[in-house]
Amino acid sequence: MTDRPEMKILVVEDDATTGTYITRGLREEGHTVDLVANGRDGLVQATAAEHDVLIVDWMLPQIDGLTLVKSLRGAGNRTPVLFLTAMGSVDDRIAGLNAGADDYLVKPFAFGELSARINALARRPRSLAQDTVLTAGDLTMDLVTRDVMRGGQRIDLLPREFAILEHLLRRKGRIQTRTMLLENVWGISFDPQTNVVETHISRLRAKVDKPFPTELIKTVRGAGYRIEG
Amino acid sequence: MSRLFTLLRASPVRLALGLVALFALVSLASLAASYAASRASLDATMRSDLTQDIAGFRAAPNARALAALVAAEARVTDPARVVLSYVTATGQRFGNGRLAQDRDGYFLTTLDAPDRRIDGQYLALTTPLYGGQLTIARSRAEIDALFTVFRNIVLLSLLPTLAVALGAALMLARRSARQVAALGRTLDRLTTGDLAARVHPTARWSDDFHRIATRIDRMAAAQEASVDSLRQVSSDVAHDLKTPIQRISVHLDQLSDMALPPDATTLVDRARAEVDGVVSVFHALLQIAQIEAGTRKSRFAPVDLVPLVATFAELYDPAAAEAGRDLRLCVATKAAVVQGDRDLLGQILANLIENALRHTPDGTPITIGLSEVDGTIVLTVTDAGPGIPEHERDKVLQRLYRLDCSRATPGSGLGLALVAVIADLHDAVLTLQDASPGLQVALRFKPVR
Repeated sequence: MTDRPEMKILVVEDDATTGTYITRGLREEGHTVDLVANGRDGLVQATAAEHDVLIVDWMLPQIDGLTLVKSLRGAGNRTPVLFLTAMGSVDDRIAGLNAGADDYLVKPFAFGELSARINALARRPRSLAQDTVLTAGDLTMDLVTRDVMRGGQRIDLLPREFAILEHLLRRKGRIQTRTMLLENVWGISFDPQTNVVETHISRLRAKVDKPFPTELIKTVRGAGYRIEG
Repeated sequence: MSRLFTLLRASPVRLALGLVALFALVSLASLAASYAASRASLDATMRSDLTQDIAGFRAAPNARALAALVAAEARVTDPARVVLSYVTATGQRFGNGRLAQDRDGYFLTTLDAPDRRIDGQYLALTTPLYGGQLTIARSRAEIDALFTVFRNIVLLSLLPTLAVALGAALMLARRSARQVAALGRTLDRLTTGDLAARVHPTARWSDDFHRIATRIDRMAAAQEASVDSLRQVSSDVAHDLKTPIQRISVHLDQLSDMALPPDATTLVDRARAEVDGVVSVFHALLQIAQIEAGTRKSRFAPVDLVPLVATFAELYDPAAAEAGRDLRLCVATKAAVVQGDRDLLGQILANLIENALRHTPDGTPITIGLSEVDGTIVLTVTDAGPGIPEHERDKVLQRLYRLDCSRATPGSGLGLALVAVIADLHDAVLTLQDASPGLQVALRFKPVR
């Protein structure tokens, strides 16, 4: 298992198959999960107990997800919310984020994507956020001089390669999915059909990992990439 | 000046001017009739006055008395008003004037030597009396003054009326022009997809425009409601389809976690790829439907295409390089700012680059061009592949149309259709042309100044 501390997560999802799947996956990762199947129970649970993250489906019986999130935010509850929806358009994304959701995932999604996004949402202090030098293993990245060194060797990176590596280093130990990288490194909020992120990662690996005996950038199958802490 | 001209052509002004003209015509006609009647009655009065004057002088007993009477009366009478004249049988003249005659007819002169002609029109009555000739002439100046009176009536009453009516008409026209402009603005906003636009007529609006505005508002509300319900339906459909698709991918995940024979693993992977294909078609169709509803236009903002094409060229560069291709960026302008939606414009670039990657052989170069030609921003994606036959170029922009030769390649068949819909939303002209060899897709945008 990973070194992630376990979280208390509330899942509000009316489809039993999806709900069970999410719940089981999160429990396997060591989290404590409450599952409810309608918006009213979701609102009650969310206000009654302290959760680290809420996973809320848009279409719910009794109270829909959008109203649920709005009500929570209106009541001053700031728990991070990941919104699940069948609709993938920008309009829907904006509606969800405007209601107070922190992130947004379009169905169908892979569990890896969900897991990565929940870990990104969890409000934990980022140990390296203030540092000007990021490290992982024998690699150091100086954000001021923009020097990247590994095993005493200097590595020349293109600006975008530097940005990808910085993003992964800042979130050391956490999986970053392809769509998360597209959103954060390129500012693109739709999914291209071509495996563009993979090709950038493999270029980066050719410089950062290939000349060295150990691999820093790990591929997590069906999810994304991670640099181990 | 041209604004005044436009105002004069406005229908309320034309109506008002017509009414004013009719009113003026009727007024003039009735004034003319009463002038004629007054003149005739003044004429008749003058005639009877003259007859009475003559009758008064007839009361004198003899020629001498008559001459004395005329002389006395003439002394206190202004010849400009009344001319009195008595010429005795012996040719002696009494009075303040006399009747004379030349080739043109009779006229009046004074008795001074040399005599002066008395100007103006007179009505004269003459009669033989006691062997002499008695003539009394009254000036018609009073009747002529009547014309001046009537002319003044026209000037003092009719003209101000006309001016006030004209002014009021112009004011009404300006008000209605403002209301027409408000209606136009709302209709423009509705056309560009801002379905929340309303006229909101105030109580001060004229009745007919108020009715039209209310109806436009009602129509817009109905339109907004139907687009909303369309969105609700597509979101319901999306939910109803996405939930089972989500379940399928859940089941596939559960399957792949089991110890499966290698053949079964291959099948699971294939099934996953099919699910991805279904999802991408579904997303593209939903997106096309939403773009065609037109509401996104209301969120347009200036977008500079220069950094956008740079981002996408850079994003696809390693993928192109992997296929042995050269992805060239050819930007011939410092800035290319268009009014649009950054995400959608990026989607255009992604779809065009992926199309070129997918439908041309490995090693074929792809060029992204951006330039400004004659005040138009031209974005091109050119490949040196097999191109598209001319008769099929329109068809590839249709939904789900695929060239026979490309059936075997992956893709939703919606890439170019989505590009066409997005281009349309941005009022950009999309053309597919022969790059001999290859295909050039060009988009022409109007720049934001």
